[in-house]
Amino acid sequence: MTGAPQTAPSAPTARRVRRSPDARRVRDLLFLVPFGIILIVIMFPVLWMLYSSLRPVQEISQGVTWDTLLADLSLDSYTRLFEATNFGRYLMNSLLVCAVGTVLTVCVAMLAGFALSRFSFRARPAVMLVLVATQLLPFVVLITPVYLVFAELRLLNSFAGLIIVYVAMTTPLSVLLMTGFLNSVPTTLDEAARIDGATTLTVIARVIAPLVWPGVVTVSVTAFIAMWDEFLFAQVFLTSESVKTVQVGIAGLFGEYGTDWGVVMAASVLAALPTIILFSLLQRRLVAGMTAGAVKE
Amino acid sequence: MTTAPSRAVSAQRMRRLQPYLLSAPALAVIALLFLAPSIYNVILALQSLSPYQAPGDGEWVGLENFTALWGDPEFGRAAFNTVFWLTGMTVVLRILAGIGLALALESPVLRRWKLRGFSRTVILLPWMVPQVVAIAAWRWILDGDSGILNQVLSALGLTDGGVPFLALTSTVWWSIVAIIVWRELPFVVMVMVAGLQSIPSEQYEAAAVDGAGRWGLFRSVTLPGLRPVLTIVVLVTVIQTFNNFVYVWLTTGGGPGNYTAVLATELYNAAFFDNELGAGAAIGLVMTAIMAVFAVIYLRMTSAREESR
Repeated sequence: MTGAPQTAPSAPTARRVRRSPDARRVRDLLFLVPFGIILIVIMFPVLWMLYSSLRPVQEISQGVTWDTLLADLSLDSYTRLFEATNFGRYLMNSLLVCAVGTVLTVCVAMLAGFALSRFSFRARPAVMLVLVATQLLPFVVLITPVYLVFAELRLLNSFAGLIIVYVAMTTPLSVLLMTGFLNSVPTTLDEAARIDGATTLTVIARVIAPLVWPGVVTVSVTAFIAMWDEFLFAQVFLTSESVKTVQVGIAGLFGEYGTDWGVVMAASVLAALPTIILFSLLQRRLVAGMTAGAVKE
Repeated sequence: MTTAPSRAVSAQRMRRLQPYLLSAPALAVIALLFLAPSIYNVILALQSLSPYQAPGDGEWVGLENFTALWGDPEFGRAAFNTVFWLTGMTVVLRILAGIGLALALESPVLRRWKLRGFSRTVILLPWMVPQVVAIAAWRWILDGDSGILNQVLSALGLTDGGVPFLALTSTVWWSIVAIIVWRELPFVVMVMVAGLQSIPSEQYEAAAVDGAGRWGLFRSVTLPGLRPVLTIVVLVTVIQTFNNFVYVWLTTGGGPGNYTAVLATELYNAAFFDNELGAGAAIGLVMTAIMAVFAVIYLRMTSAREESR
């Protein structure tokens, strides 16, 4: 993207030697420049969000000029966010729901994954089909019946209700991913432990879990991100201010009139931070896991 | 297995039961959230019931909730929007841009300049951002008063005064489409990259020996090689997007008027604004029926591929 082609050397011999790498370089730039512009366009909304969250409130609605580009950047919007809204509360709520939900999902997925990976039982194909099929079920369609069931069970406006929904929501993919990871752990070790008299649960906790930790990490992060990002059920289930999650909180910040965009962008940055960090740390594993359903080589 | 025979038998039975016990928690939560509500949804669709009533107090109305949908122009518009704009347009654009970006990511130029890892991370960035955050960021960019897009456009002299992109019928759908394509493109790119990598390089060499040019290679090797992945990715994205609620809900709420209403927002409005849970359930059943077709095709294709291995 950077640097103009070098000036051609004056000596004709040198030029003949250099021509081909230079020509290649020019051709590369014909590809790199448009591609770089596309990358900038892709990055822009996130960068603009971060930048807007740091701009002073009186300037945010004005245009950007070169003189004021980096002037007066401050964390004022973040201060306003925590002082004027319940965003701190929302953050804690989301962390709690997602942390508990993730631990439960991993446990559930570990047990079922062990069954699917180590046993060939009669219902195995049916269980696999259920796991794949539930992922295809239109989630929004469930909102009315689940709302009624949970209202009856008095689980609305409670973290317990939302955690149950999130565990169930992330279970199918988590089980499938975990089964894949467990398949790559040799069975000789757990068989040896079992001959020594260990129960299945001990084998899973003491032998399998330490061996399959990359799978545990991948499943945890995938599930955590899915729960962190979820909006619809949180919106319908949690109506009282004290239990709202981050996503519902942000959606409440961009009201119809007089939106304080500095505050909204500050909230957005904080809401995106956990997922961006987790995603970057485990980029390859996550991409492999999430695209696994579509591509199997 | 040298213990007493009776213990061996019970141990064996235990072992046969074990996979069921181990999968029980997973199956239980799935039954609670997916299976039971799906069945309950069918019952609900035949009733008239408000969220403030007890579930047992619904009044049986037969197929009324469905017949009400049939001639309803609002439902027709929502169905059209869902199929054409929300799903059709965004899937087509994602596939085209996805193939393009995947080819770019795999190009030797990026490898030569050691920019491949960086480019990949940039392309993945929108996927790392929660959907709600993506919507917030874009609403700020598209803002009619002080959004950056309006500032750029008027600085270039292309418009005078702010254009409220999400409030005009001429721009609102393209704005929503842009947000969806931006946020959901990385998945398609990554699948396409995996698809490209699965094409054996000998095929390219053979075609090149036959004198195929760049375009010829793309048509005779790349596209046929991507075909299996392409079908699956179309099915997956269609299934994911068709039901999406949040993009339309948090950008326009279905407006202006009900110009951008989609089936998911109609369902939500029917159930929680008009307080007609039965009507919402009926819309949900229609959506499920349409998606079932795609789901069955998907399941058949994936299991066929599994068997052919």
